Amino acid sequence: MNSKLERQLAELLEADIINSETAQKITAFYHTKDESKPNRLFTIFGVLGALLSGLGIILIIAHNWDDMPRNIKTSFAFLPLLIGQIACGFSLIKKKSTTWIESSATFLILAVGATISLVSQIYNIPGDLSDFLLVWTVITAPLIYLMRSNLAVIIHLVLATWYACYSGYSFSSIGHTPWLYLVLFAWVIPYYMMLQRQKAETNITGIINWLLPLSLVIVLGTFTNGDTLLLLMYIGLFGLFYNLGQLSIFKNQKLRRNGFTIIGSLGTIFLLTILTFEWFWKDAIKETYHGSDVLITIILFIAGIATLAYLHLKKQVQGFNLFQYAFMIIGLLYLTRGIGSVYGIVATNLLVAALGIFAVRIGINKSSYGILNYGLLIITALIICRFFDTNLDFIFRGILFIAVGAGFFFANYLLIKKQRKAALNSTSNTQTHE
Amino acid sequence: MNKSIYITLLFLLFAVQLFVPAQMIYQQEDTLHTGTAYKFKTQPIDPSDPFRGKFIVLNYEMDSFATDEEGWDDFSGNVFVYLKTDAAGFAAVKHVSKTLMDTSDDYVIAESRYNRNNRVNFDLPFDRFYMNENKAYDAEISVREAQVDTTKICYGLVFVKDGTAVLDNVFIDDTPIQEFVEEYQEGIQ
Repeated sequence: MNSKLERQLAELLEADIINSETAQKITAFYHTKDESKPNRLFTIFGVLGALLSGLGIILIIAHNWDDMPRNIKTSFAFLPLLIGQIACGFSLIKKKSTTWIESSATFLILAVGATISLVSQIYNIPGDLSDFLLVWTVITAPLIYLMRSNLAVIIHLVLATWYACYSGYSFSSIGHTPWLYLVLFAWVIPYYMMLQRQKAETNITGIINWLLPLSLVIVLGTFTNGDTLLLLMYIGLFGLFYNLGQLSIFKNQKLRRNGFTIIGSLGTIFLLTILTFEWFWKDAIKETYHGSDVLITIILFIAGIATLAYLHLKKQVQGFNLFQYAFMIIGLLYLTRGIGSVYGIVATNLLVAALGIFAVRIGINKSSYGILNYGLLIITALIICRFFDTNLDFIFRGILFIAVGAGFFFANYLLIKKQRKAALNSTSNTQTHE
Repeated sequence: MNKSIYITLLFLLFAVQLFVPAQMIYQQEDTLHTGTAYKFKTQPIDPSDPFRGKFIVLNYEMDSFATDEEGWDDFSGNVFVYLKTDAAGFAAVKHVSKTLMDTSDDYVIAESRYNRNNRVNFDLPFDRFYMNENKAYDAEISVREAQVDTTKICYGLVFVKDGTAVLDNVFIDDTPIQEFVEEYQEGIQ
């Protein structure tokens, strides 16, 4: 138990808020809780050890020992792989602890990479990094389920994302759409759903809540060539994320664990701000499309709408939230872009302003300074964008800035006042009860 | 799932993990022992790979072929490059094809793009030669310097069999590049 809690308990005892029996119960509760901590620490250090030694082996191999004969180097190539396999087999057969499971799985994944690296190096096997990463990811993917290793999920996602970026963003040669990434991504979904059912509150699930949407955000750009359609595709993706984040399994958790909502919201606002500029709507009218780009965009929008419909059906929607519908509004504006670019520009500006005001409202209702100021920042960003690209005169722009500045003070003041009032009410209620 | 099924599946996975590198080794060794050796004139440059270490990229002189066959303009994809040996003993293109031909000639599969005026341009696949991290950069420099001053020829020795090509070593006038770099490094110290 930490000393801070001990001090606080002594203070509460002294002030007669709790009695010594309660203090003992609290102490006993935290003692039991602390007992599980060493295991967690062992697991973290075990995995770190496996990660570092695995990466170390890869680096030593990368040195390229050209004085060694080819057959000796080839025999050495299998050494880390066999060690990793023995460790994994031992962990599973002897039903060893999580520390063993996680460390051996992590080591084996890196050992597979080391072995393929060394064989490729010895025989100068052609193929760029994406081919190598793909083979590596595929032949280690089953470890997630066989070893039930959480770290294996994280490494799998990192490798799959790396493969898709290298293959799709054409760093080395002509970019190839990394369709296999979708299979690699889908591979972890059943495991993730199992984690959500059984270990929703654990740190590892929190990390994967962020990694899954982040990976998709990074990779989605490899599936298209069109500029304006790419932005629309991302708006669909962020709309889907925001709505997924509103599902009760995520909504009931702390906001910082809800990667889907945060990435969905930030992404939507960022892209909508770009869409408030004239160029997007002018280019959108001229752009030609590829079949697969349109298909992916439609799939993302349908998935977003289906999630929203599911939320309504399961009565998981608490009041109207404009953020959940923003992607659909942009979708409609895009479909009707033939009317003229001015219509799109004005509507998007109004939408961003409305989202800002909406966030301020949510912030005040939930008494959250973070969300309140996020809303104000959205409005500020919108005004800064218009500051640079409109023909409004200086006085008008100056007044706008002063108005938003005053808005910051006023909205925060309102919230402070609301919180003080709530605190006063609760104190007077306690006194009445006494 | 039953524990024994888990363990069986795990061992199956282990077998796959062992099979993949073993199969890579077998294919390369088979080509090295039973394939035909060709010398491809080349020029090395030095980049790096995060896992496999330093390597030199080999820019082969043999990178295009003039053909009378129609339909090559704007073609991109895999191309079968059939080989012969020229009078000086280096590899040369006998013919190119979009499909596998019924012939006993050795071939390699290259990637082709930007074809214009009936000239088929291609990138040979065996363009990476992994080197010791202390030698890769000097390999580029030493070969460049050697080729400026003299008529030294740099070539990759490649064994070819049934479309599989294994780059065995890189030579500068019959001296393996590792030894050539070592001599160069001793010279500048």
